[in-house]
Amino acid sequence: MSRNAHPHAMAPSKPGRTRTAPPQLPDQFPFRGRYLAYTLFDLTGILYLLLGFLALCAVWCLGSGEAVWNGVLERHRNVFYLGFHTIALVGLIFVGIRFFGFFPKAQPPRVGPVKSPPKPVILAALYALWIGVTVFMTLVLAGGVF
Amino acid sequence: MSDSQQKKTFVVTRFDPDRDQAPRKQSYEIPVQSDWKVLDALNFIKDEIDATLSHRWSCRMAVCGSCGMMVDGEPRLTCKEALSEYGDTVEVGPLANFPVVRDLVIEADGFMEKLTSVKPWIIRAKQRAVEEGPMRQSPAELEEFKQFSMCIGCMLCYSACPVVANEPEFIGPAAIALGHRYNLDSRDEGAARRNEVFRGEGTVFSCSFANECSEVCPKHVDPAAAVNQAKLNAVIDWAKGLVLPRGGDE
Repeated sequence: MSRNAHPHAMAPSKPGRTRTAPPQLPDQFPFRGRYLAYTLFDLTGILYLLLGFLALCAVWCLGSGEAVWNGVLERHRNVFYLGFHTIALVGLIFVGIRFFGFFPKAQPPRVGPVKSPPKPVILAALYALWIGVTVFMTLVLAGGVF
Repeated sequence: MSDSQQKKTFVVTRFDPDRDQAPRKQSYEIPVQSDWKVLDALNFIKDEIDATLSHRWSCRMAVCGSCGMMVDGEPRLTCKEALSEYGDTVEVGPLANFPVVRDLVIEADGFMEKLTSVKPWIIRAKQRAVEEGPMRQSPAELEEFKQFSMCIGCMLCYSACPVVANEPEFIGPAAIALGHRYNLDSRDEGAARRNEVFRGEGTVFSCSFANECSEVCPKHVDPAAAVNQAKLNAVIDWAKGLVLPRGGDE
């Protein structure tokens, strides 16, 4: 154990009579062992931030007329933009799979009188929803709907 | 010594509050037997080599939760870990995220405070008279919380949790799992009070679902499930408090 945790992690509200050594973080935190998946999961937040910013920019340009919008599309035809979107896609799939894996067990056994469905059913519903939304969005973007 | 004996080196974290400024490492090379657990090796060191080594243990059967330590960087119950699973050098240290009292002994007072903060007992609005007989519970009702009642308080989950390391106020996995266990108990009427604790300082919403607590839990309690179920219940209870005249469950 080499890195310090928060100095007051798990410390009692009143200090004891014995001098204690400060708490240490687990060895593997944050980039080794099982913590890697958790850290990468949280780091994908940066991707969402950038994607959100790009989406806002796109909407802003969309409202500024066809010429501006065509200019945006033209600027997006470069290898960096495609690379970013590939990374974002990989990140999204990773987050989706990890989140869907955890989601069923986060459901309480019942809410009032209503019981939660079995975990496989929840999992199947989540993936079905994901695939459904993806197909729908693909159709919208391909001009098949609206 | 039998033929099955081999030697292993134990790198043990030592800290003497009267002498050491900070924890240090000390190595012991000892003969081990093939059926030993990590705890057996620590007891051998204490009994045969260095009587000043301090570590906690009691039942030797993964029930009391006393002997939790970092073994090769992972929080483990040392009485449950077969030495044969480890290499020639084994690192043993005190549980991460806890202040160290001495050597492998951590200060558990902070944990005990968090545990009591969630009121881990059955709360009844009105005490039941003895004449009324026992409060009956169906197997299905028991099944709803049984898993979360298996916690032995070994604190491995606190040691693995990255949120505990960074947010000292966080109530933490075992305490929330225990509180949630009583919230799910059909005999209990104190869910609203516990949900207030869950929403207050050290809130359940600090949990970022790393799932590490469940990964290291030696009794398969799945505290991450409890914490995240408690989040939803705390929100529902809060919403009920907005629309119902007397708040949530009480």
